[in-house]
Amino acid sequence: MDLLQGTLDMLVLRTLAAGPLHGYGIAKAIRGSSGELLDIEFGSLYPALKRLEMKGWIAAKWDTSEFNRRAKYYRLTPAGKKQLRREHSKWAEFVLAVGQVMGPAPEGGKP
Amino acid sequence: MIFWRKLLYLLPSYRRARERDMQEELESIAALAGPGVIGNKTGVAEQTRAVWGWDWFEHLLADIRYAFRAMRRNPGFTATAVLSLALGIGANTAIFNLMDALMLRWLPVPNPGELVRVNLRAHGGTEVSDSFSYSMATALADRKDIFSGACGFSGASFNIGPRASLHPVSGAYVTGDYYQTLGLNPESGRLLTRADDQPGATLVAVLSDGYWQRQYSRNPGVIGQTIRVNGVPVTVAGVSPSGFTGANVGAVADITLPVAALARIAPEEAVLLGPGNFWLRILARPRSGVSTAQIQAHLAAAWPSIAESTVSHGWPASRRKEITDSTPELVPGGTGYTYLREMFQKPLVVLLGVSLLVLLIACANVASLLLARATARSHEISIRLSIGASRPRLVRQLFTESVLLSLTGAAAGVVLAWPVSRFLLSILSGGENSQFPIVFDLSPNGHVFAFAGATAVFTAVLFGLAPAFRTTSIKDASHTTRYRSRALSALVSGQVALSLTLLIGAGLFVRTLQNLMNVDPGFRREGVLLVDVDGRTEGYQEARLTAFYQDLLQRVRRIPGVVSVSLSGHTPLSGWTWSEAAVPQGQPLPERDNAIFVAAGPGYFATLGTPLLSGREFNEYDTGAEKVAIVNQAFVDRYFHGRNPEGAYLTATVTRPPGTLRIVGVAANVINTGDLRTAPKPTVYVSYAQGQPARATIIIRAAGALSQIAAAVRAELQPAFPSSPLEIGTLAAQVERTVVQERLMANLASGFGALGLALASVGLYGLLSYSVVRRTREIGVRMALGAKQSRVLWMVVGNATRLLLFGVALGVPAAWAASQLVRTMLFGLTPADPAIIAAAILLLCAAGLLAAYLPARRAALVDPMTALRHE
Repeated sequence: MDLLQGTLDMLVLRTLAAGPLHGYGIAKAIRGSSGELLDIEFGSLYPALKRLEMKGWIAAKWDTSEFNRRAKYYRLTPAGKKQLRREHSKWAEFVLAVGQVMGPAPEGGKP
Repeated sequence: MIFWRKLLYLLPSYRRARERDMQEELESIAALAGPGVIGNKTGVAEQTRAVWGWDWFEHLLADIRYAFRAMRRNPGFTATAVLSLALGIGANTAIFNLMDALMLRWLPVPNPGELVRVNLRAHGGTEVSDSFSYSMATALADRKDIFSGACGFSGASFNIGPRASLHPVSGAYVTGDYYQTLGLNPESGRLLTRADDQPGATLVAVLSDGYWQRQYSRNPGVIGQTIRVNGVPVTVAGVSPSGFTGANVGAVADITLPVAALARIAPEEAVLLGPGNFWLRILARPRSGVSTAQIQAHLAAAWPSIAESTVSHGWPASRRKEITDSTPELVPGGTGYTYLREMFQKPLVVLLGVSLLVLLIACANVASLLLARATARSHEISIRLSIGASRPRLVRQLFTESVLLSLTGAAAGVVLAWPVSRFLLSILSGGENSQFPIVFDLSPNGHVFAFAGATAVFTAVLFGLAPAFRTTSIKDASHTTRYRSRALSALVSGQVALSLTLLIGAGLFVRTLQNLMNVDPGFRREGVLLVDVDGRTEGYQEARLTAFYQDLLQRVRRIPGVVSVSLSGHTPLSGWTWSEAAVPQGQPLPERDNAIFVAAGPGYFATLGTPLLSGREFNEYDTGAEKVAIVNQAFVDRYFHGRNPEGAYLTATVTRPPGTLRIVGVAANVINTGDLRTAPKPTVYVSYAQGQPARATIIIRAAGALSQIAAAVRAELQPAFPSSPLEIGTLAAQVERTVVQERLMANLASGFGALGLALASVGLYGLLSYSVVRRTREIGVRMALGAKQSRVLWMVVGNATRLLLFGVALGVPAAWAASQLVRTMLFGLTPADPAIIAAAILLLCAAGLLAAYLPARRAALVDPMTALRHE
């Protein structure tokens, strides 16, 4: 499934709200929580992480991973939390609005 | 926040650290999840760097590095291009530098943009005057409802020091509110105030910071000390802030005195304080928060009452009404005042236009060089395109090369421009050794750098953009080649047209100067020394003054080498004028329409070399009660209609009430006033000894080296003037000063004409050489098939001739149109002067064919065997 333009940042912020993760962990978590529907390529996730870091919404630190390997862990900053809340309410409004326009699935077509 | 973080990434060390960190992280991920997860690692890294936000900057740096390498690899190409651009941009920058100093630079005062100057427009007329009387200046300063401050000022020259060692210093007279209006604070001590500008106030002066530095090494002890100005003790009140040299830009005011001080500093000029003398320019600062239009309306409403209270009551009613009915106008004043602006604005604008043409020729040169080089680089470009470089990226890179070329040219141009504009200024000053030179700071400033930079980018667009697009286009080769040779021909013809325009312009200005120099002014200018004297500064008055002058003449007459000596109130073309109403006795005196008057001593006409047409000169006996006059031919034509006026009587306003003069002679016409373009006006000469003696000029005709005789005259006369250093000049220099503008135009227009011709010749030479190299094989084949050397020679020369003729066909109408704009600056010829156009075309074709000859010869000497083996 393709991502809507601009939703990747929001997804990353939401995923990190649960706790710090390294880059690959974020990709895995999004895939897991979307029921394997959203498969984010690491190649597009990584620049997005750097963009969020640049904006000050997430921060990164080197740490030791579950298999005792070094990895860079990202966590949400207070500014990131605020941004997530903003994005979340915007997203909810958007879903509501689009839902109202679309209504139930039109008849005659196969579901 | 994000901005600062981004800025951090500009630091190369920080960027390197982030880069290492990123590589490490990507490796750790690969170790964690397998290398397949990351995919194209280089691509990911590239995208990430784009997030840092400076990838465009890195590309720019890479482009600049690449461009530098390309410039170094082709030193011949680079040198030619940079030199062309340096000459073109340098010419423009030199002119701009002068324009900037003369017209655009703010006075170094707070909020200069608020300042206005006041002009007076005659009722319903186009005549605008910028001079006001002292009483008008103070009346304007009193209108606090209109101006928060207003002041009058005028340049002056003072003799400073004790009697034995005087030196002249340029200065200014200003009204009391001068410094307050400008908003200046003293560098040291205090500045002048209203209280200083009162009759009878203690005499005080303000020094310029530069003068304080030069004369007193910034010694604060000088404040409160007394200096001698024209022999009168004056207290130094303070020093004006550094950088400020007066509102009269171009003439440094080292010593500034209140106008009221004039009564005691220069009593012989005290008449200037009266209501009838208009000599002060006005600078004012309108009250804040009021629009210019409102101020203007306010001032217009207030003017009649100001005029009523300040115009001399002794004037005829019609004259008074003229002033009252005039309208005061506000013009921007933040750049101060200089008479030079009015004089040189048009010449400088024209010269900027001319130098722009030179720049266009230079641009065409570089554009054709780039186009020619495009052929050499087509291989490189096509490889880069085929391995995936995008066209915009390549265009950007090629354009970077052009910008770099023109910035290098501009840098060299600024270096060239500096001495050139100083040289121009010295022409304006009337030579290096003029006593009060025009002083401007011409060291390149922000304006000039901005101008040169903008010109460089503009030229880069002009010469670089089209070749950059052309080079990277992927049309088939034959199409491109055809386009290139056509574009190159068009560029060269354009250059020819432009340089023809320049040459014709140069011809027009040179002829104008020659015509002016050939004008017969009615006197012989060579071999005449002029000494301005004013015995009143030494305390002589009336009859004693006349006797003093006679003694001076006697002493000069004895100096070896002096042929004849006379004196007069003023000399031809000195800038001084005296006019009075004069008509044959019995006719009514006109109210306007005055005749020119000259007070002349015995031997005046012989000394100046002006022929007497009939009657006699003034002599030693013309001192009696019956006043005598000599009139010029124009006066006779006007009032006597060809009759001999000898013995007739004139009524003239030389005395009040008008007196009678007996005509004793008729002199040839002389251009006394204005400049050499001015037609001689009806003139009446009166005997110096029969008028009120005042200042005078001693006229000395000498045989031999003028400088030696001038030194002898100085040695003889200076002891008689212990309180004023004598100025000795020549009549030739005085005449020369009236053609400064024309000389400037003639010199610069020919310089630019030569420059344009040289650049265009280089352009033609380059194009023909290039085409000969490209056609070497074809020429070889032709010669192998029996073409003679002369035939090949003519083929190339014919090509050149075609280009030249095409350029001439374009250039003649262009020059005609351009020269219409300078019609009023010409003298004695029309813009469409056939001789000048023909000469310009001849010169251009000669230079063009010379430039064509070398490549043509090279073509003729092509060895068919070598040429064929070449491929």
